[in-house]
Amino acid sequence: MKSLVIIAVSAALAAAIPFFGSEYALSFTVQLFVFVALAYSWNLIGGYAGYTHFGQVAFFGVGAYTGSLMMNAEFHWLVAAAGAGLSGALLALPLGGAMLRVKGPFFAIGMFGIARVCESFALGFDGITQGGTGLYLTPVTDLKPLYFVLWAIAFGMVLMTWRLDNSRLGIQLLAIREDETAADALGIRTTRLKIGTFVVSAIGPAVVGSLYATYLSFIDPATAFAPMTELTTIAMVLLGGMGTTFGPLVGAVVMSVVNELLWSRFPEVYLALVGVVILAVVLFMPRGIVSFAMRRDWWWVPAARGSLRRLASRPSPSRTTPKEAH
Amino acid sequence: MHVQRIQTPPVDLPPPGFSSAAGTAGATGDHILVVEGVGKRFGGLVALSDVDLSVTRGSITGVIGPNGSGKSTLFNIIAGTLRPDRGRIVLNGHDTTRASPAQICRHGVGRTFQISRLFGEMTVLENLVAVAHGASDAEAVERAMDLLAFLEIEGLRDKWGTELSYGQRKLVEIARALMLRPTVMLLDEPFAGINPRLQNRIVDHLEALRQRGLTLFFIDHEMRIVLEICDTIHVLAQGRVIAQGTADVIRTDPKVQDAYF
Amino acid sequence: MPVVELLIAGVLLGGLYALMACGLNLVFGVMRVINFAHGDLLAIGALTTVTIVTGLHLPFFVAIVVVPLLTAGLGLAMQVLVLRRLADGPMIMSLLATFAISTILVNVAILIWGGGYRGLPGVLGGSVHLLGYDVALSRLVSFVVAMATTLLVWWFLQSTRFGRAIRSVSQAPELAVINGISIDMVRNVTFALGAAMAGLAGVLLAPTFASDPQLGARFGIKAFAVIIVGGMGSYPGAMLAALLLGVLEVFGGYWFGQVIGSAMLFLVMLVVLLVRPRGILGMGVRA
Repeated sequence: MKSLVIIAVSAALAAAIPFFGSEYALSFTVQLFVFVALAYSWNLIGGYAGYTHFGQVAFFGVGAYTGSLMMNAEFHWLVAAAGAGLSGALLALPLGGAMLRVKGPFFAIGMFGIARVCESFALGFDGITQGGTGLYLTPVTDLKPLYFVLWAIAFGMVLMTWRLDNSRLGIQLLAIREDETAADALGIRTTRLKIGTFVVSAIGPAVVGSLYATYLSFIDPATAFAPMTELTTIAMVLLGGMGTTFGPLVGAVVMSVVNELLWSRFPEVYLALVGVVILAVVLFMPRGIVSFAMRRDWWWVPAARGSLRRLASRPSPSRTTPKEAH
Repeated sequence: MHVQRIQTPPVDLPPPGFSSAAGTAGATGDHILVVEGVGKRFGGLVALSDVDLSVTRGSITGVIGPNGSGKSTLFNIIAGTLRPDRGRIVLNGHDTTRASPAQICRHGVGRTFQISRLFGEMTVLENLVAVAHGASDAEAVERAMDLLAFLEIEGLRDKWGTELSYGQRKLVEIARALMLRPTVMLLDEPFAGINPRLQNRIVDHLEALRQRGLTLFFIDHEMRIVLEICDTIHVLAQGRVIAQGTADVIRTDPKVQDAYF
Repeated sequence: MPVVELLIAGVLLGGLYALMACGLNLVFGVMRVINFAHGDLLAIGALTTVTIVTGLHLPFFVAIVVVPLLTAGLGLAMQVLVLRRLADGPMIMSLLATFAISTILVNVAILIWGGGYRGLPGVLGGSVHLLGYDVALSRLVSFVVAMATTLLVWWFLQSTRFGRAIRSVSQAPELAVINGISIDMVRNVTFALGAAMAGLAGVLLAPTFASDPQLGARFGIKAFAVIIVGGMGSYPGAMLAALLLGVLEVFGGYWFGQVIGSAMLFLVMLVVLLVRPRGILGMGVRA
């Protein structure tokens, strides 16, 4: 319940910005929404299923280009975004089937390789993509619809993750993360779930990639496949807490602020700082802020995966009072 | 003439006092697990050679052997994590020689792991509910709580996997495997590394499970326990079965003495 | 198509890849850590060489001696301060850590040296006649030094006591402990050695290629491709794969242009990962 209140309040606040906020607040929030979508998508495959990887930006970039090409072919930006999402899913399906058979670190690096290959293709096949020059798009006249689509996607993903966190599917994904061999031997359909999660985790980035291109009215390989995007996304989820409902949100807000302060003026300092953040989290707080807080029962953090606990606490006629295990 | 097949009902807890025709030491029951001529080598090392054994439905069967006897290899082959080079495994009527662990699980087999593979960053309750396939959340929680009560560990419900002691993990592993409502339980060294009091508790639980019609198969090297609880014992040494039979037979077999001492 | 010329160019490039990849491989073999920052050590090596020669006006061979020591020190710092604490955890955490360190190194390098390219004119310039073809002296020298070093390290691993200690830790750490080998020290030395090899590769690269801080990202990732194709943990596999991929990249670049030529390496890596995870010689650790 606490969770829903938090989501509702933040959504309401965010919805007010285009009407009462400044241009600056608007652009900041648009960027924030993009990162939220990226972070929550990465959280699915990396945080829940445990398949962390460094190539998510591949889907973002592919989506951005698919959407841009569609927009240049006179499709409406919404349709283009849907098409982009589809392209992400279509890319992820065979890729997931192939890559997910490979063990953790190799999967992570393999995906990184895929992102670089995609970037090379975007640069190399310049007959289609205009290569390094980039694609210019007709600017959208009114940003509000775009804003609200991004708003819906961002909060939709938070809600979806909240539902996942309290579901059997969420627990099964965590089981895969914790010990895939055991999960498989105990009947959890690991292959199916892994691939499904991977595909879903590709759709979000692809869609927001297209929407971001719409927002900028421009896309080029450097923007589409920027390591900065990948690094920031990972840092957000790590910092906030992998495999939690609010971790990515907390991480996204914190890192967006840092990004806003440093990225345009001191890009190298920003990136080095992101590296330091990732390092610090890995060394000292690998489960992130939210998990840290949950373990210590801080009052403002809603309990994760609470629904099972509530079911178990309900009195049952056939059960006697619990005895302490020795 | 019709031969009446002895049906083993699924293990559904409760009610206790549930009787099964296959509940007693299955002298006449059919074989739920058959291992035929299994051989396995790793490079130059022969781990198993020509192993034959069968497990009667509703019995408690143990495989013992000193270190290096091949019992772990045999267990892993039966559980599906290894493929034999030669031979056949028939489990619950299905040829599972080349089956994966997941397929074997779907044939009604539950297993525990020697080094406990609990899901660490999840609570005990979540560990159990994660494998409650086909049941709704409410049913799954109900079944989980019953199993925890059966094993007398209800207090562990909300503890994280990583917080449990070695002995507690063993119990939770058993509970988790039982969530699958298996007809056969494969236990990988269930008694290793725990104190005698807990060992006896587990013996009691296994007996209770057998009363409900479950077939239990395990490997271990705690001689005392194996002799006490098993209907049939198979002794492995250097990849071969050197003796099989009831506890009395094994106790007095000179080959076994040789292998162990 | 000038086959022989391309072949020579490919082999020469492969020599450099061999030095890079073998260093990376060594570290993986012993520590099961994939050092994402390996390429950045190469970049720092290259840039430091440029500073030493053009900035401090010292002869090139000073760089050959000093730079590997410098990168070895950096590597040792990485290992002792960060990686040692993550050694017992899941592999992905070490990978994330090296990923983070790589980012830090690249950006610090940009802050120190600026983002642009730097050449090393006048060092090992000119060409040499080889097999009837004109070959750039710098490439030939790089190849010779790189291969010599790679083979020297291989000899070290096979024939010396410490080398055998390193190999025993990579193949059977539990046994190594029983034999009284200090795993910590082996890891520290191995990491430093791998880092030194990367630094040396950077030195050798500087006269031939333009150096910039992003060199690491481009070169380093190719080293991964090489060790995956050669079989993770297999030293000879890495050497062979390096030469093959060097040739492949040169031919690919000739047919399809630079960009796609580079991409081809990743494609081969991906294919190997999926189809033959133990590498072309089949001697690698299963991916």
